[in-house]
Amino acid sequence: MRAPTALRFTVVGAVALAIALMPFVLSDYNRSQGARVAVFFIAILGLNIVTGYTGQISIGHGAFMALGGYTTAILTHSHGWSTLPTLPVAAAVGFGAGIVVGLPALRFHGVYLALTTFAVALAVPQLATNYSHFTGGVEGLPLPSHTGIWLYGLGWSVAAVMFVLSWLLLRGRTGRAFRAVRDSEVAAASSGVSLAVHKTLAFGVSAAIAAVAGSVYVLVNAFVNPDIFGLTLSLYILIGAVVGGLGSLWGVLVGACFVQLLPIGISNSHTVSAQSVPVIFGAMVILVMALLPRGAAEALFWATELPKRIRRVHSSSTPQRLEAQ
Amino acid sequence: MTRIKLALALAVVALGVSVSAGLAATSSGTPGVTAKSITIGGTFPLTGPASLYSDIPKAENAYFQYVNAHGGVNGRKINFLIEDDAYNPAQTVPQTQKLVQQSKVFADYGSLGTAPTLSTRDYLNKLGVPQVLVATGDSYWGAQYKKYPWTIGFQPDYPGEGVIYGRFIRNKVPQAKIGVLIQDDAYGQNYYAGLLKGLGPAKSQIVDVEKYAATQTDVSQQVVKLKSSGANVFALFALPTQTIDALAVATHIGWKPVTFINNVSNNPLFLYLAQKSGADVQNDISTTYLYDIYNNPKSATTKLLASILNQYDKGWNQLDGNNIYGLASAWTMVQALKNAGNPPTRAGLMKALTNLNEVNPFLFTGIKMQTSAGERFPIEQESLEQYKGSTWVPFGRVYTKVK
Repeated sequence: MRAPTALRFTVVGAVALAIALMPFVLSDYNRSQGARVAVFFIAILGLNIVTGYTGQISIGHGAFMALGGYTTAILTHSHGWSTLPTLPVAAAVGFGAGIVVGLPALRFHGVYLALTTFAVALAVPQLATNYSHFTGGVEGLPLPSHTGIWLYGLGWSVAAVMFVLSWLLLRGRTGRAFRAVRDSEVAAASSGVSLAVHKTLAFGVSAAIAAVAGSVYVLVNAFVNPDIFGLTLSLYILIGAVVGGLGSLWGVLVGACFVQLLPIGISNSHTVSAQSVPVIFGAMVILVMALLPRGAAEALFWATELPKRIRRVHSSSTPQRLEAQ
Repeated sequence: MTRIKLALALAVVALGVSVSAGLAATSSGTPGVTAKSITIGGTFPLTGPASLYSDIPKAENAYFQYVNAHGGVNGRKINFLIEDDAYNPAQTVPQTQKLVQQSKVFADYGSLGTAPTLSTRDYLNKLGVPQVLVATGDSYWGAQYKKYPWTIGFQPDYPGEGVIYGRFIRNKVPQAKIGVLIQDDAYGQNYYAGLLKGLGPAKSQIVDVEKYAATQTDVSQQVVKLKSSGANVFALFALPTQTIDALAVATHIGWKPVTFINNVSNNPLFLYLAQKSGADVQNDISTTYLYDIYNNPKSATTKLLASILNQYDKGWNQLDGNNIYGLASAWTMVQALKNAGNPPTRAGLMKALTNLNEVNPFLFTGIKMQTSAGERFPIEQESLEQYKGSTWVPFGRVYTKVK
């Protein structure tokens, strides 16, 4: 148990180091691409808490990103705030909205809940369109522009903070309660886990993180309007979460790279027409689902687990216990 | 300690990958301009709901290829980068950043759609990158030039077109009882405002205004209501899908008013589709500002247009008016690049585009493109046209936008 955990931390440390060193060798454009990966990283992390750990499907996380993005945009543009203090406010707004959206989750399950969140994703950009004196409407609001290195630094610093906070939350009592709710609501309730508290809490935390992702997103764009929070955004977050691995934090980076960099990589290869890019991307999603149904986290699990098992088989003949992920 | 070695190895690999990715080309002087080439780029819906417009960048590229084959612009070949944004601003922004920061384009040219183009307007103006001849008819581009000096549009704006219909109804349809169908957003309101202005005192003759949400494709209820309001004039300011539906429904319920179809939806291709769904579109009225290849099949311009597209855009659809639009826009760009200095500069390009005084061969005969520092709408003239047989037939004189 200790060895793979230590190995995991080493891998995480190495990846963190690589991410920290990356901007020094990237072009300014690629740094802002790196910041976009961070945006998806944070959003997928958020979705994973409610969908992966608590078992409640949301296809509306783009709406929480929109709330966070508009919070940052309105505070900086119309009220003269500087950028960074808007992030905690965005998180608070997201948390509140998440709690409200989480309330129906107490009644709705599965596809019904998914459709509820879908409705939220449809409604929020429309509200931003309608209240144009406040949000700038379709013409949008400009934000101060920043250099690629600043955006990269901000995006990944926020991502690191969110990752550590999520990890701390999920490894303890609350995380256990979330997983218990996911695995069996009846069993969780009979063990004294409050369904109402934990379901809404999961939604709140998840939405708060997504809102922060939205803040970083509008800063990378240096612009906000309702159209940048379209439905495809919510779906890409969900795809990223599944590709990364639901119910595990270790694959989030892979999920974020998959949804942000893969389509760009395919179209940059110039070997296929623009019309084929969505088709190839879709085919890759299906391929990942078929080969790694539990996402990149599963691949990572086996990569760290296999050497250990081989060692065990060689060193002793005692039967081994399959560890639950 | 093998773990630390592994970690180091991973970091080294990651660094190696990023170094190779980070070796970006360095440039000097005006971005996108070398002794041999000018690189420009734009965002277009090659995929997604608006991909019907993907013929426009293809036709534009065909014209640039044609110009390159004939020596380019002052000896420089035009390199036109087409990026797909699927008509989705969330993709327009990064694709535009890619054009500017990675491909180092001289200018963002011809980018299509109101919402996508609005999303990048701040960014491009902040950096002083020209955002020119954007393919949308909202009035933002020409009207807000003080705040956004690096942005300029191309086609006539929607309110101006509405004015033409209003004036025509006031003068030529004396007993008019007007029914209006508009999309319930800025696009529809722009047209409606123009119509009211053109009608002047005759606006009291409007008997009903029906609206539909942009996401709604079935407008039959609205058309039925308009018929029952007793209207004998039908002003149809919708998007292509709803226009086709409205025309078919009107015919099915036996309503044949004097019908006006806005320019956005008057592509001969759409009229063909409407007739296939049973619509009677004979004598319907619209406007045009593009060269009329349909009634001048043997003219020199039609022959030139066909030869360019046959050579550089194989498989182009003759029925699709977007091809003419693409050539007219690319022609304007080439003309502006010629006048943007040698070597061209970004400020020079804006100066050229705000001092246009040109007869564009791919625009309707009689239209002149004119701009000045304070007058930023390149095309402000349109002709009325009426659908006869299987094509639009222009009639009357060329109307100039009322200021």
